[in-house]
Amino acid sequence: MPKSALGIAIVLLLVFIGIGYYLVMNGMIGMLGFEALIGIIIGGVLIAFGVHFVPVGGAPAAMGQAPGIATGVAMLAAGAGLAGVFGGAWAAPLGLWVALGAGAVGGGLLMAITCMMVNVTYVFAMGIPAASGKVDKDPITGDSQPEYKSQGTEGHGLPFISYVGGVIGGILGGLGGTLIYMQLLAVYTDMLPALMNASADQIMPIAISMAGIFAIGMFLVNAVLTAYNITGTIEGPHDPKFKRAPRAVVASAVASALCGLMAILIVVPL
Amino acid sequence: MSVKIEASHDGIPHNTILGIGFVGSLVCIYLTYLNVITGLDLFSFFGGLGAVFALVWGTSTIKKLCSYGIGTGVPSAGMIALGSGVIAMLLATKFGIATPIAAVIIAAIAGLVIGFLANNVLNMNIPVMVQSLAELAVIGALIILGFATMTTGDFTLASLSSGTITIFGFAMNSYTTSYLGGGVIAVAFMLGAIAIQHPFNAALGPSNTQDRTLMLAAECGFLSMIMIAVISFAFISVGSALFGLLIAIIGWVYTYVQFIELSKRDAAGWLDAKMIVETEA
Amino acid sequence: MENIVLGIGVAALAGALATVAGAAEDTESDIGSQGDPNSQVQLAPQMGYMHRIFNKAIAGEPPAWGLWITIGAGVAWAFMVMNINPVLAIILGSVLASFIQGVYSTTAYLGRTASLAKFGQPVYIDILKSVTSVTVAHAFVGIFATVTACYLMNAVLGHPFPLPILGIVWGIALGAAGSATGNPFYGKERQYQNQKFGAGVPISASGNIVRYAEAGERSSLDNGWFTSKMGGPASGLCFGLIVFFELWRTVIFEPINHGWGAVIIGVVLILIFMALDRWIEVWARKTYGPYTKAEVQEEAA
Repeated sequence: MPKSALGIAIVLLLVFIGIGYYLVMNGMIGMLGFEALIGIIIGGVLIAFGVHFVPVGGAPAAMGQAPGIATGVAMLAAGAGLAGVFGGAWAAPLGLWVALGAGAVGGGLLMAITCMMVNVTYVFAMGIPAASGKVDKDPITGDSQPEYKSQGTEGHGLPFISYVGGVIGGILGGLGGTLIYMQLLAVYTDMLPALMNASADQIMPIAISMAGIFAIGMFLVNAVLTAYNITGTIEGPHDPKFKRAPRAVVASAVASALCGLMAILIVVPL
Repeated sequence: MSVKIEASHDGIPHNTILGIGFVGSLVCIYLTYLNVITGLDLFSFFGGLGAVFALVWGTSTIKKLCSYGIGTGVPSAGMIALGSGVIAMLLATKFGIATPIAAVIIAAIAGLVIGFLANNVLNMNIPVMVQSLAELAVIGALIILGFATMTTGDFTLASLSSGTITIFGFAMNSYTTSYLGGGVIAVAFMLGAIAIQHPFNAALGPSNTQDRTLMLAAECGFLSMIMIAVISFAFISVGSALFGLLIAIIGWVYTYVQFIELSKRDAAGWLDAKMIVETEA
Repeated sequence: MENIVLGIGVAALAGALATVAGAAEDTESDIGSQGDPNSQVQLAPQMGYMHRIFNKAIAGEPPAWGLWITIGAGVAWAFMVMNINPVLAIILGSVLASFIQGVYSTTAYLGRTASLAKFGQPVYIDILKSVTSVTVAHAFVGIFATVTACYLMNAVLGHPFPLPILGIVWGIALGAAGSATGNPFYGKERQYQNQKFGAGVPISASGNIVRYAEAGERSSLDNGWFTSKMGGPASGLCFGLIVFFELWRTVIFEPINHGWGAVIIGVVLILIFMALDRWIEVWARKTYGPYTKAEVQEEAA
């Protein structure tokens, strides 16, 4: 990416983190808030990085012309990530690390089952074996690909590397989304009682809902930014487009920092 | 193999639509403040009208952005609009009566940053990207603000997080049944996300005409308003909710009939139970 | 103990509802022709092939179904706050969400077809009338089943998310799972029925979808029974497994080891599905064989 844009992006990131730090120093939010901001940035980066692993074929995949899943990048990742947040939110009372584990596994499980059923459709219903169009040998299993590609197509189905990529993408997406949710939940349960003059138990529904909707909103922003980076279709981690991941990571860090800052500022008594 | 997206010749320039949509939306949302002044909640429906203005504006913005060929589909533009908009809007509700203006400013900042990231860091290099994403974020914030106001009657954080629950005839304050506590903002979020991209997505094609697209945008807005009016029965008085529902239904029927008329005007043929018309290939 | 038994029962019920929802989702999106295969329905007139297929272009399946389920859940939530019986609230919510879906379908068909006027594709009013009611019916089944599953998760299993947010989560997941599993079946096997079985569609054939079929001119309604042969049940199985395993592993194993039990079981499940997928892939390669002879590697003879 152009050096000047990278520079401005890093400056923006530091500015947002700096604002957060300034708020802590002035006693407007506790250290918890600053940690939450860092946690949200990490969560956003995990989401953006994870989405690059998910094999998406778009419209050509629906006709057996390209490998991957025949859905849009952003929404398939959102489906996996949100199922992960569902699992993570359920395990939230048990502590941060358990919740993260549950979120990651939730996202990964959805992708594992979905990718397997995609292959079931291709193999048993359409009689088409999986083949990649971008590599000659599957990097994990060593299976040779070109002769299993039907004529006139770029490949089809989900070769094993794409499957593993999908699962990893689901794991990272669920992990990132749950991290964002847990951090916001912690900040809101800490600061909302004072702000609204109520006990922690009473404001719990509001804290959960606000953290939930923010997590969903940030997830979608990160997923769409990543979709812009991928420009439509990607076969998985072995695809040359995967090398574009670093610039999405930078973009997502800045976007998550800004959105996280805005989410935290809600509970700061201004 | 993707659909060729062509920008049609616009009758009304985008900046005019921007102006009308922006001013109209803000004015309508502020008109709901009459609720606070008069003590009724009859004027909540202005929030929905504000969202309709914003949706019409948003259709024009998405059309402008997507005519450059962004590589992914149209729906993702709607998602990013609402995703950044909802965060900006919730932050803005802290500012009391200045909430709509604050929502615009905060959403604009968010949109500009995200637009810069998408255009320069992700190298998309589309001339109108930064401005379009800023507009979309503002539109997203206004849509959700409008729908939230229509549902609850007010746009401050306090009113969005208070709700009543009747147990054995006694009305008590409860956070679970509030707009935020119940997560009902999710409905406004998804309604806006689909409604903002549907007009351009559904009218996609070489024979796209602007008036038909904008009429479809208004139709989607009023349709969403109907749903929000139904949900508002749980928050505002029955009379006001009925009034809002009535206005939404009237608006929807009118725009829907108009849209069908315009489609009839534009279509190559309007056939009923006829064979496939084979062209000389 | 009784709690766990109730939990398992509800998890199984939610899984069954999710299976029905997945099947209905895929059938609905194939009858209406939504999602990625719809790009071919859009392309066909531009290549000179007029057709009588319903062109339901409402974003993709995940966001669209996210919307219907969220509306259903949100309206149901509102009615429940007004102290209406939950069952009635869910039914009313699903009816209203289906109505919205029907309106969006009609505007999508009219909009897209009117914008293809340049190529001579006419609007067929009878398709609008006949197909819309069918897709609304299938959508209702899908919406009702999913909103009920969400309600069970919130009310009985005690998930902290309120109903509308559960609606977004599972609506988008339903759309993603159903779209991923069912789209290739519809796209290749049905739209390109005239291409050779057992191979992908060559790029040169794009746009040449099947327009004359079993009984005269193909209508989207015919896609219903086709989808129910494999695409629908497969999507149902996919989403049902997802919902069931997500709930089951949490209900049973979460008390073990402070929640880590559920995580470990989840990892085990992922590995099991990975092994199953690998078996399927190897089976296909062995049974179907390559299309062409493998390139002879440069070997030192």
